[in-house]
Amino acid sequence: MKKYIFITISIIAVFSALTISCTDDFVDRPVEYSIDSENYFNSQAEYESALIGAYDLLQSTFVNVLMGEFASDNTVCGGNGPTDVPGYQQVDDMIHTPVNTEIKKVWDWMFAGVQRSNYILEFKDNIEFEGKNQIIAEARFLRAYYHFELVKWFGPIPMKGDARFTPGDETSIPRSSVTDVYAAIEDDLIFASENLNPMPSQAGRATRGAALALLGKAYLYEASYLDNVLNSESNSGEKYQLAALRLQQVIDNEGYSLVSDFNDIFEMAGENGPESVFEIQYTDVEGGSYGYMQAIEGNVAVGFAGPNSYEGPFFESGNNFNLPTQKIVDAFEDGDLRKEVTILDMDAWVIEHPEVTYTKQNEHTGYFNRKYIPRKRSEDAAQDYKLTNPNNYRAIRYADVLLMAAEAYNKSGNDPQALINLNLVRDRAFGDENHRITMTDTNLYNAILAERRVEFAGEGFRFFDLVRTGRAAQEIDGFTPNKNEVFPIPLEEIQFAGGNWSQNQNY
Amino acid sequence: MKSLLVSFFLCFASILTYGQDYEIKGVVSDNSGTPLPGVSVVIKNTDKGASTDFDGNFALSNVKNGETLVFSYLGFATKEIVIKNSTFLNVSLNEDTESLDEVVVVGYGTQKKREVTGAVSVVDSKTLEDLKPVKMEQALQGTVSGVNVTTTSGSPGADINIRIRGIATNGDNKPLTIIDGYVGELGLLNPNDVETITVLKDAQAAIYGSTAANGVILITTKMGKKNAKAKISFNSYVGFQETSRKLNVLNATEYAALLNESYANGGDPLPYPNLSGIGNGTDWQDEVFGDAVPIISHDLSMSGGSEKITYAISGSHLDQEGIIGGKKSGFLRNTARISLGAELSEKLKLKSNVIYTYFNRKSLPEGGNASVLMNAVNAPSTLSPYDTNGDFTIFPLGRLGNEMINPLSQIENSYNDYNFKKLSGNFGLDYQLLDELVITSSIGFNTSNSEGKSFAKIIDYGGKVFDVTRSSVSQNAVNNNDYSFDLYATYIKEIADHKIVGTLGNTIFKEWGNGLYATGYDIPNNTWSNADISLANGAPAPGVIPVGSYTFDERKLSYFGRVQYDFKGKYLVSAMIRRDASTKFGPGNKVAYFPSFTAGWILSDESFFGKSSVINFMKLRGSYGTLGNDRIPTNGYISQLSGEATYVFDGALVNGVATGQIPNPDLKWEEAQKFDVGLDMKLLNNKVNVVADYFIDTRADLLIPYIPVSGILGAAAPGASSPTINAGTVKNSGLEFSIDYKNNFSDDFSMSIGYNVTFLKNEVTEINGTDFIEGGVFSIGQPAPSRMEVGQPIGYFYGYQTDGIFQNQAEVDAHPSQADLGAQSAPGDFRYVDTNNDNVIDVKDRVNIGDPIPEATMGLNLQFNYKALDFSMYTFASVGNDMVRNYESIAPDANQLNYVLDRWRGEGSTNTNPRVTTGASVNNVFSTYYVEDASYVRIQNIQLGYTINSKVSEKIGATKLRVYASANNLYTFTKYRGYDPGASSGAPIGGGIDDGFYPIPRTYMVGLNINF
Repeated sequence: MKKYIFITISIIAVFSALTISCTDDFVDRPVEYSIDSENYFNSQAEYESALIGAYDLLQSTFVNVLMGEFASDNTVCGGNGPTDVPGYQQVDDMIHTPVNTEIKKVWDWMFAGVQRSNYILEFKDNIEFEGKNQIIAEARFLRAYYHFELVKWFGPIPMKGDARFTPGDETSIPRSSVTDVYAAIEDDLIFASENLNPMPSQAGRATRGAALALLGKAYLYEASYLDNVLNSESNSGEKYQLAALRLQQVIDNEGYSLVSDFNDIFEMAGENGPESVFEIQYTDVEGGSYGYMQAIEGNVAVGFAGPNSYEGPFFESGNNFNLPTQKIVDAFEDGDLRKEVTILDMDAWVIEHPEVTYTKQNEHTGYFNRKYIPRKRSEDAAQDYKLTNPNNYRAIRYADVLLMAAEAYNKSGNDPQALINLNLVRDRAFGDENHRITMTDTNLYNAILAERRVEFAGEGFRFFDLVRTGRAAQEIDGFTPNKNEVFPIPLEEIQFAGGNWSQNQNY
Repeated sequence: MKSLLVSFFLCFASILTYGQDYEIKGVVSDNSGTPLPGVSVVIKNTDKGASTDFDGNFALSNVKNGETLVFSYLGFATKEIVIKNSTFLNVSLNEDTESLDEVVVVGYGTQKKREVTGAVSVVDSKTLEDLKPVKMEQALQGTVSGVNVTTTSGSPGADINIRIRGIATNGDNKPLTIIDGYVGELGLLNPNDVETITVLKDAQAAIYGSTAANGVILITTKMGKKNAKAKISFNSYVGFQETSRKLNVLNATEYAALLNESYANGGDPLPYPNLSGIGNGTDWQDEVFGDAVPIISHDLSMSGGSEKITYAISGSHLDQEGIIGGKKSGFLRNTARISLGAELSEKLKLKSNVIYTYFNRKSLPEGGNASVLMNAVNAPSTLSPYDTNGDFTIFPLGRLGNEMINPLSQIENSYNDYNFKKLSGNFGLDYQLLDELVITSSIGFNTSNSEGKSFAKIIDYGGKVFDVTRSSVSQNAVNNNDYSFDLYATYIKEIADHKIVGTLGNTIFKEWGNGLYATGYDIPNNTWSNADISLANGAPAPGVIPVGSYTFDERKLSYFGRVQYDFKGKYLVSAMIRRDASTKFGPGNKVAYFPSFTAGWILSDESFFGKSSVINFMKLRGSYGTLGNDRIPTNGYISQLSGEATYVFDGALVNGVATGQIPNPDLKWEEAQKFDVGLDMKLLNNKVNVVADYFIDTRADLLIPYIPVSGILGAAAPGASSPTINAGTVKNSGLEFSIDYKNNFSDDFSMSIGYNVTFLKNEVTEINGTDFIEGGVFSIGQPAPSRMEVGQPIGYFYGYQTDGIFQNQAEVDAHPSQADLGAQSAPGDFRYVDTNNDNVIDVKDRVNIGDPIPEATMGLNLQFNYKALDFSMYTFASVGNDMVRNYESIAPDANQLNYVLDRWRGEGSTNTNPRVTTGASVNNVFSTYYVEDASYVRIQNIQLGYTINSKVSEKIGATKLRVYASANNLYTFTKYRGYDPGASSGAPIGGGIDDGFYPIPRTYMVGLNINF
C-alpha cells in the first residue's frame, strides 16, 4: 500500500513540475519597474522629462570651455605635473593626436547631447498637446547648441535628422560638410526663435533671445570660417548680413543689458542676470567623482582652474589648470577694469592678504583665471569640492551679442552701427566714455577682435575666434595650419566607422 | 543457522589450538576517537574473525602470539597488527581518502573515483582542519592544481576570488558553487561543516550547462553516520594576528634630505635647511598596524545515527579583528546547521540540510588615494601623529596635496557597519522506483537579508577633500532569494560486463530580490550612536533624490541527460547534454544546448599491462564539451529609461528621464569549449599518486559588457552605457600535474607529501568591433594601464619600456625627443625605448610590459605523524605574475620607499632609479619601472599538534584530546616591494594593480580539538 502512495506522489510531482513550470514560458517574465524607452512620450509630462535629459549634457561642456582656453594663447595647461591629464597637456602644446581621451570626451558628450535631443524629436509626432512647440523648440535649440560645438571642434560630422543614431550608422552615414551642418543648425534655431518663449519659464531654459543670439553666432562663425578657413567667399557676405540681422533683433527686442560692474557678472549673485542671454546651470549640492565627470552637476572647469591647496579669503582650492599667460595679461589696456576681474595676480593677492597660502605647481605663471575659479562655498556644498563648483557658465552674454553684431556690421560695411555696439562694451569696460574707438574697416575689425579677446578671456572663445578669423597660426605656438583648425576625430571613431569617415587632414 | 555453524567451527578450532591460545579484546575507532561499529577483525590466513559492536568493541578467543589481526572497514585503510602478548588492543583506523572505491560527486550523481573520466580534484575535511581557513576559498590555494585564489584585501571578511584554469572572460570569472545540490556561496560556509570540496575543471561540468563555463565547485557537507554513537566534537582556537609585511619607507632624516635634493633639483628653496636633530620621526606603519590582534574561533558539532536516521548539528563562532583599526575593521560570523537523513521506508530516503549564517563586517577605506594604508605609507615621517594637545595632527595642504590625511584620524572617524543573515539549505527525496531506477527530487533555497550603514561625520581634516561639512548617514537593506528545484531519474543496469548509468532530469531556478537605499542628513550631536535615518531630520538640497531601489527576477529552466557506460570497468565513456533557457537573453536567443563527452581507459586492467610491481593503476582520460556563461548585466536586450537626466532650473536640481544601456537584441550565451586529456596513476603499492592534465579552454562569443561603440550612439551620456556584445575569444591552455606520496612507515610514523603545479598560457584571440578594451587606473590623470587585445594575455600592462637613465646631456640629445610625453628630458631621467623607430617617443611607443597572470602556480604540502605528534605544512608559489606599483603618492612632499636612496645623483651613479625633482619630468608615465615581478613563495600554514594519551583524556570523558599550535601566512618570499604579491582586485582588465593592498595577516594560533 505504502509503495503505491509513494509512486502516486512521485508521479504527481513529476507531472505537475512538467506542466506548471517546465515550459519556456517560465523564462518569459516582465521586467518590473522599468520603462521601455520605445513606448514613451504618451503625455506632456513625458516630453518634459525627456527634455531634461537633453539639457543635462550642457553641463558636460565644461571640458569644451577648459580645452578651448588651453588650446588658445590665453592660458597654459598646468596641473600637478607635466603628465597630469596628458590629453589636456597635448592640446595646450598643440601636439594632440587622434589618441586623446579628452578630445574624445568632447565628441562623445556632444553627440550624447544630440542623441538625447533627437530622442524627443524622433517621437515628436506621438501625441498632440498645447505647448508642444515650446518643447520641440527647446529640443531643437539644444541640438543646434551641440551641433555647433561639434562643428567648431571637428568640422564635418554625421547627422541623421530627427532620428537617433543606431548601431551601424557609423559605417553608413557620412560626415556632412561644414556648410550642411551650419545649415541644419540655422534651421533648428530659426524654428526655435519662432517658437520659444521670450521669457524663460524657469531660469536656465532656452529663450527666443538665446535662439536668436546663437543663430547670429552661427551665421557669424560660418561666415568667417568660410572666409578664412575654407577660403570660399561665395556666401560669407550674406551670412554676415544675416548675423547682423538676427543679433540686432536680440538688441532691439529682447531686453538684455550690460551689467554696469563687470565683476558682478561672475559672482553667484550675478547669475542669470540682465546680461545673461544663455547660461549653463550648475549646482554644488550633489557630489561627484573624477571617473564620471559627465554626470556631475557642478562646473568641473572651475575646480580644475583653482590655485592648488589654496588657503585664504574669498577663493577655494583647485587643481592648478588653465593658467593665464603673461601675453593675455599684457593684452589689457591701461585702465581696463576687466583686467582685475579676469586675472587673479597671486603675488599681488598675497601682498594684500598675507595669510594666503597655496602651492605653485606645473607651469606656474603667477596668474589664475579669476572669472572661473572656485569661490568660498556654501554649507550645502557636497564633496569633492573641486568637482562640484556651482558657478554657472555664461555661455552667451549680451556683450557677446554686441561684439558679434559689431563684427557682422563691420563685415557688412556698416561701420557706424559696428562702432555703436563696440563702444557700448568699451564704455562699461573702462567705466567712462574716454576710451571709445573711432576706427573703420580693417582697423575697426582688428579692434573688435582685440575687444573680444579681453572681454572674453577665460571664457573658452579665444581658440575658435582665432581659427575662424585665420589668425591662429600667428598667435598660437605650435599651431599647424591646415591641421589644427579642427581637432582630430578620435581614433576609435575612425575604426568604428570602418572607412566610412576619413580623418581630418594632416592628423 | 550460519552463526551457529561459525560458532561450532570456532569452537572446534579452539580445541585444536588449546593451550597456547588466549582471548584478546579491544576497541576500534577512527583517528578522531569515534568508535567504529561493524569493523571486520580477521586473523590473517584463517577464517577466524569477528566484527565490532555498536561501541567498537570486539573480542576474539583462541588467538596465538605471532598471529596477525587484520582490521578492515569500508572507507578506511586496512590495518594489520601482530599479536604480542597483549590482551587488549586500542586500534585506530585511518580514513582512506585515496581509495579508488572512494565516491566522488560529479553533479546530479556520484561516481567511483576509478571510473571518473573528467578532470576532478577533491579537497577533504582533513585539509580544511589543517589549514583552518577563515573563509573556505583559502583552502583551495595550493591544494588543488589549476585553481588560483587571490585575495582582494587582507582585511577581515574581504572578498576572495577563485579562478579555475585561468581568466577566460572579461566579465565574471567566478566558478559556480553547488552545496549539496543547490546553488550556494562558498565564502559563507563554516569550514568545519564541509566534508569535501570537489572541483570540476573540464567539460564534465557541462551537466551544469549555462553557468558552468568558469568551472564548478561542489561542496558536500558533513552528515552523520548510520549506527554510530553520538560524536560530539569541539574545536577552538585563539590567535594573534600581525601584519605579514611592512614597507621600507624613509625615516624622517632620510626623508628631509631627499626632499631637500628634490627641491634643489626643481629650483626651489630647501624645505629642511638644517637636518640635524630630525631623527627617525614617526613610523606611520607602526602607528596604524596593531600588534597581537585577536582572532577567536569556536565550533561545536554533534553527529550520529541509528539504523534509519542520521543527523549532524553544528554551530560556530568566529570573531576576527583587523590588523588595521582593530574592531573598526572586524569580521564576526556565526553559523548553525542541521542536517538530517532518514530512511522513511525501504525505498524512500530523505536528506535535508539547513544552514543559518550571520556575519557582521566593518571596514576602513581601502585601495587608492583615500585608503588608510596609502596615507600611512606616504605620510612624511617628519609629522607626528598627535599635536601638543593630544589631538590628531592635521596634515598640511601644499605639496602634500589635498588628499593625504592623518591615517589615525581617518581610522577614528570612519564609521560603518554591515550585517548579513542568510538561511539556506535543501530537502531531497530519493525514491527507489525499481531496482535499477532511482528518482531524486530536491528543493534548494537561499534567502538572505542584509543591512548596511555608513556615517559621514562632520570632520575637518584641514581643507582636504575628505572634509565633511554636513553629517549624513546612508543605509541600505537588501533582500535576495532563490530556489532551485531538481527532479531527475538515475537508471543503473549491469548486464554481464556492461554497465550503464543513465541520468535524466530537469532543474528550475529562480532568483529574485530587491534593494532599498536611503540617506538621511544632519545627525544629532554628530555621533555614530545617533547615526540612523530615524534621527536624521535634515532635508537634502532641492532636487537631490536621497533614496533608490531596485528589483530583479531572473529565471532559468534546464533539462539534462547523461549516459555513462563502461565495459568490464576499464573502458569508460560518458555523454551528456543540457538544455538551458534563461531570462538573461532576448527572444530568439533564450535557449541553448551544451553537449559534452568524456572517455577513460584503465590501462592497468589490460592483460598486456601485466602485474607491474611499479605501476598499480593507470588510467587515461579525455573530455570535450561546450559550457556556457550567462553572468552579464540583466536585461541587456531591451532599451530602458534607466539613464540619468539631471539638470538645474531656477537654481535647483530637476530630474527627468533618459535611456540607459544601449540594447543588444542579439545577446546570447558565452560559449566555453573545453578540451582535456589526463592521466591518473598509482605507483609503488599505491603509495604514490600522480595526476596529469593538459587542457585547452576556448571561450568564444565572449560577452563583453560595455564594449566601446561609436560615440554618436550616445553611450557616454550620464547613466547610459555601451551595449553588451558577444564579441571576443579568449584561449587558456595549460598543464596540470600533481604527485603525492603517502606511507605509514609504522604505527608510530606516517607521512604524506604532495606537490602540484599548473602552467597556464592566456591569449586573447579575437575581439570584434574594437581593437582593444582598456581598464584599470594608474596614478592620476594618466591613460588606462591595462588592455585586452588580440594576441596578448587578457589584462596585460600597456606602457613604455625604459632603457636605463640618461647619464648626461649628450645622451639626452642623442635620443629621440621625449617631449611629447609632457616635458623635456634631462640627465637623470628615464630613457624610453623608441619601439616603433619613428625617432620620436610618443604614445605609439607603448607596448606589452607585463601581465598579472602567473605562468605557473604550485603547492607543496607536507604532513608527518609521529606517535602523538602531528605536523603539517602548506606552501604555495606563484611564478611570473607581474604587479603594478601604484601605492606611491604623486604629491611632491609624500614619503617614499627607501629604494629611492639609490637614485641618480650624477653621471655614473645609477642606471636604475631616476633623479628626484619637484620640477617637470616624465619619469612618472606608466613604464616598466612601475611593473614589478610579483612571483612569490608563501608558507601558508604550519602546524604542530599533540594528541594527549587516551588514558588521560578518557578521565574527562573525551575520546580524543588534541592541542596544537599553528601559524598562518608565516612567511612570504618575494622580491615584490608592496604588501601582498598575491593580492588582486580580481578585475580581468585592470587586475594586478597595487593601490596599497591591505596585507594579509600573519596569525599565530593555539587551539584544541576535543571529541566525546
